[in-house]
Amino acid sequence: MGLGLLASKALKPTASRLLSSQNPRSLLFLSRTVTSTPELQKPEQAAQAQPEPTPDLPPRTPLAGARVHFPNPDDAIEVFVDGYPVKIPKGMTVLQACEVAGVDIPRFCYHSRLSIAGNCRMCLVEVEKSPKPVASCAMPALPGMKIKTDTPIAKKAREGVMEFLLMNHPLDCPICDQGGECDLQDQSMAFGSDRGRFTEMKRSVVDKNLGPLVKTVMTRCIQCTRCVRFATEVAGVQDLGMLGRGSGEEIGTYVEKLMTSELSGNVIDICPVGALTSKPFAFKARNWELKGTETIDVTDAVGSNIRIDSRGPEVMRIIPRLNEDINEEWISDKTRFCYDGLKRQRLNDPMIRGADGRFKPVSWRDALAVVAEIAHQVKPEEIVGVAGQLSDAESMMALKDFLNKLGSNNVWCEKNGMFHDADLRSGYLMNTSISDLEKADVFLLVGTQPRVEAAMVNARIRKTVRATHAKVGYIGPPADFNYDHEHLGTGPQTLKEIAEGRHSFSSALSNAKNPVIIVGAGLFNRKDKDAIFSAVEAIAKSAKAVRPDWNGLNVLLLSAGQAAALDLGLVPESENCLESAKFVYLMGADDVNLENIPKDAFVVYQGHHGDQGVYRANVVLPAAAFSEKEGTYENTEGCTQQTVPAVPTVGDARDDWKIIRALSEVAGVRLPYDTLTAIRSRIKTVAPNLLHVDEREPATFSTSLKPQSNQELSSEPFGTAIENFYMTDSITRASKIMAQCSALLLKK
Amino acid sequence: MASVVKSALKAIRERGVGTFLKELKEEGYTKCLLDGNLLQTKIHNIGARLVGTDKFGNKYYEKLEDTQFGRHRWVEYAEKDRYNASQVPPEWHGWLHFITDRTGDELLMLKPKRYGVEHKQNFSGEGDEHIYHSKGHALNPGQRDWTRYQPWQPTKT
Amino acid sequence: MLARLAASRFLEIRQVFRQVKKILSHYPSNYKQSAVIPLLDLAQQQHGGWLPVSAMNASCNILFNKIIEVAPIRVYEVATFYSMFNRSKVGKYHLLVCGTTPCMIRGAREIEDALLKHLGVKRNEVTKDGLFSVGETECMGCCVNAPMITVADYSNGSEGYTYNYYEDITPKRVVEIVELLRKGEKLPPGTQNPGRIKSGPEGGNTTLLSEPKPPPCRDLDAC
Repeated sequence: MGLGLLASKALKPTASRLLSSQNPRSLLFLSRTVTSTPELQKPEQAAQAQPEPTPDLPPRTPLAGARVHFPNPDDAIEVFVDGYPVKIPKGMTVLQACEVAGVDIPRFCYHSRLSIAGNCRMCLVEVEKSPKPVASCAMPALPGMKIKTDTPIAKKAREGVMEFLLMNHPLDCPICDQGGECDLQDQSMAFGSDRGRFTEMKRSVVDKNLGPLVKTVMTRCIQCTRCVRFATEVAGVQDLGMLGRGSGEEIGTYVEKLMTSELSGNVIDICPVGALTSKPFAFKARNWELKGTETIDVTDAVGSNIRIDSRGPEVMRIIPRLNEDINEEWISDKTRFCYDGLKRQRLNDPMIRGADGRFKPVSWRDALAVVAEIAHQVKPEEIVGVAGQLSDAESMMALKDFLNKLGSNNVWCEKNGMFHDADLRSGYLMNTSISDLEKADVFLLVGTQPRVEAAMVNARIRKTVRATHAKVGYIGPPADFNYDHEHLGTGPQTLKEIAEGRHSFSSALSNAKNPVIIVGAGLFNRKDKDAIFSAVEAIAKSAKAVRPDWNGLNVLLLSAGQAAALDLGLVPESENCLESAKFVYLMGADDVNLENIPKDAFVVYQGHHGDQGVYRANVVLPAAAFSEKEGTYENTEGCTQQTVPAVPTVGDARDDWKIIRALSEVAGVRLPYDTLTAIRSRIKTVAPNLLHVDEREPATFSTSLKPQSNQELSSEPFGTAIENFYMTDSITRASKIMAQCSALLLKK
Repeated sequence: MASVVKSALKAIRERGVGTFLKELKEEGYTKCLLDGNLLQTKIHNIGARLVGTDKFGNKYYEKLEDTQFGRHRWVEYAEKDRYNASQVPPEWHGWLHFITDRTGDELLMLKPKRYGVEHKQNFSGEGDEHIYHSKGHALNPGQRDWTRYQPWQPTKT
Repeated sequence: MLARLAASRFLEIRQVFRQVKKILSHYPSNYKQSAVIPLLDLAQQQHGGWLPVSAMNASCNILFNKIIEVAPIRVYEVATFYSMFNRSKVGKYHLLVCGTTPCMIRGAREIEDALLKHLGVKRNEVTKDGLFSVGETECMGCCVNAPMITVADYSNGSEGYTYNYYEDITPKRVVEIVELLRKGEKLPPGTQNPGRIKSGPEGGNTTLLSEPKPPPCRDLDAC
């Protein structure tokens, strides 16, 4: 378990926390003048309990999961924050020391994941023996420093800074989308004056066009440069800059330019004021009307932690949640802005295609009866089930059990293709884990474009490349990267050269301490898949990428359902079962080769969007989307997470597993589970790791156990797995915002 | 009392019995026999000054002599059979309740023209059609469409 | 047009490649981006006194990306920050009138008025023949000879580039200076008052006429 997981667990309200809040000493923290504590009534006990020389100071809890990590215990130094001693490692700033001591310092420009700018001056504190207030975010803490955060000098300094910040800030909070969650609003409540002395004209700044996602109201900007630093450091697009000087200073691109990053939505979150806000969310809702549901994202295989903000039956927006192990505190634009797809093209009634080729809404009873009847008319081996890329583990389990009871075992998850080998988890997981990618020093990307396949993994790689100058080698078609990389070749030939040690990059790999090889899941569909994987394993072996303390052999999956499907053993029995199928059950599968389904086959489409699969279907069964159901998903690194319903289902739609359960009863092969708990205990017998929620279950056995394949590498170059980053599944394809993005931002 | 009878007789003489009876009915005197409140108001009205009439036809009276202070302003509702206090429009409310000495006609001059809805009496207990229903209420005839999604239309094939 | 301009600029920059090399050699290899200001200055001199986006992009950035690797926006940030980088067209002779307090008290406003009236332009405008433009500058440190103007001479490219101060000027003298510049004559920079030598007082020294007295010292022996 990583430190981040520990921290995120510490954030959850636990019983111990509730207990500690009943502690009378923490009540003291609220009002320090109160002296009537139980300790005083029993002085001898109090003396025993508090042997420290500072008995009047309450113990403090670090702020917001601020944690002290001592890389070297000798480097610990002690500073005093408001008289309270804290031990921190050398090199921490004064602001971080205050956070450890449980004192929240107001700040605008400082962001823990960005470089330090020190230009907002809001974090001024008094330091003893310093003639002036000190900007705490940029000042390294020195041993024995006496920091004072609540003295008149510090307060006056903050009030002064706040007055200057508000001088040119428009008074448009009532029409500002940031209102209610605005740092400037909150902090001006704490430090601002109730009247201003500024009588001149406020400045105004021309709004910039940053594309279809980010709305700018540049007059509100307070020049904290967080967005500039985010774009430069995290997103890797050096488009934004601070132009001009003095009161003419403004954030902009100088030449008209859209922000073409796949992480651009995060500038909305880091902007402390309403200068950068969400364009699709503009004037739609106020943040205090929204109900937050902490769930996970399913638009890619990363499983970013998100919070769905909903109002009534409507998803209003999606914002990230902190998870150090997976997405830190960023999410990709696809995750953030796909939500309007949840409101369009929804299937809300069961439908049967009549003889005239038109769909007619019917009742669930009729629809299920028709499906059950047809299922009994065909031979068991002609039954095929395909789970979609957004399927949760429960429904895939139910689908597999249902088809098995009918006598068929031809069930798989799309995108996995005809991936036969689900025996070794290490063969399809990101074994290094996303957070451990930061320890790597050489990357070899084989047939994967992480920037479009998994933007958050790409952000990690970029972070590593920036921090440690790790080398990145890439084999595949020419692709977009936002960090330095070496394009080694386009196809398996290059892979072979590296495996045989003939390529110049193989020396870099073998000299690396922690090499990482990432294979794209787009290669699963290739005929010479086994040969590619054995070549990759040969490279891993020669580079010593798989060791007891380091596993650098990774597969980067493409969609949320893939890992769980393979864990549950959803692999087809025969390779061309789809071509000979008579009864096809598509559970949200839109990206299978629908042309390969024979014309006379009966196709059932169970899903939430009227996407490609519906047009081939004979019966449509409406199901719930990820925002409306409780489901288990496993991300590409093997971390199991669950979605939580944020909004009700639409129309007559039902949860996926419930539909299959009902269908099994109508078909006379009743599945033995009626509740989510029961189906999870069934999953436990197949893949117990899917029940360990929020835990990463590493693969136990390495791929070296796999039997050698004697396939030949073909010379066909690797293809791109994802053509359009913004449109990969039925939800994003239904989204208008994503359509705008792909029209505007992908235009070259 | 004598003057009342005298004026009544004068009216009969001038306009004839039929017209007099019709007027009696219109003015609600016939209802007085059953409605004590109305009768008392009518008796009160004798010798009182008519201060004004609002747009609904309610008559506002004032009598400063021979009345107890605090009972010297009253209203005779236009509707004689079902009347209640909410029929008094806001501009007259202040005068009637001794909040101001300005009459409703004077206050109407001060009312902003740009906004403000027409005064409506309280119809509580008068049946479902009079009850206010919020915009999402099932009984609201102009009910909003609360469907927040767009269903897929099986138009193509 | 801009592309052709950029291409020609680029060729010119190639000619002064040695100059670029020399500038870059002043900076340590891991701080090459510090050379952005001298390089922008060089580009401005090359480009007749101003930096269009094409000049920043095409000439500077080709060099910058190849040699010191910074993104275009970082160059724009620097160029917009410093008022000495002109981002709109200026004349061959860019006349900057100092408007800071000492010069203003000594009549900088009148000098500017005289200049603008003589040239028939507004501030920051270029004359029709493209020779002159008038701007304002902040204090140049010649307050003892106030008022002053600065003439940035972009007529001869970066080789013949000069940036001269003309001090102790009068509205009459400034018109003369303009006419001399128009004729292409060289005139000595510095004070325009014939009675003064550099910053010295008019008509010779008035103080320090004899050996100065030593400052009163403590009697060290008494300690």
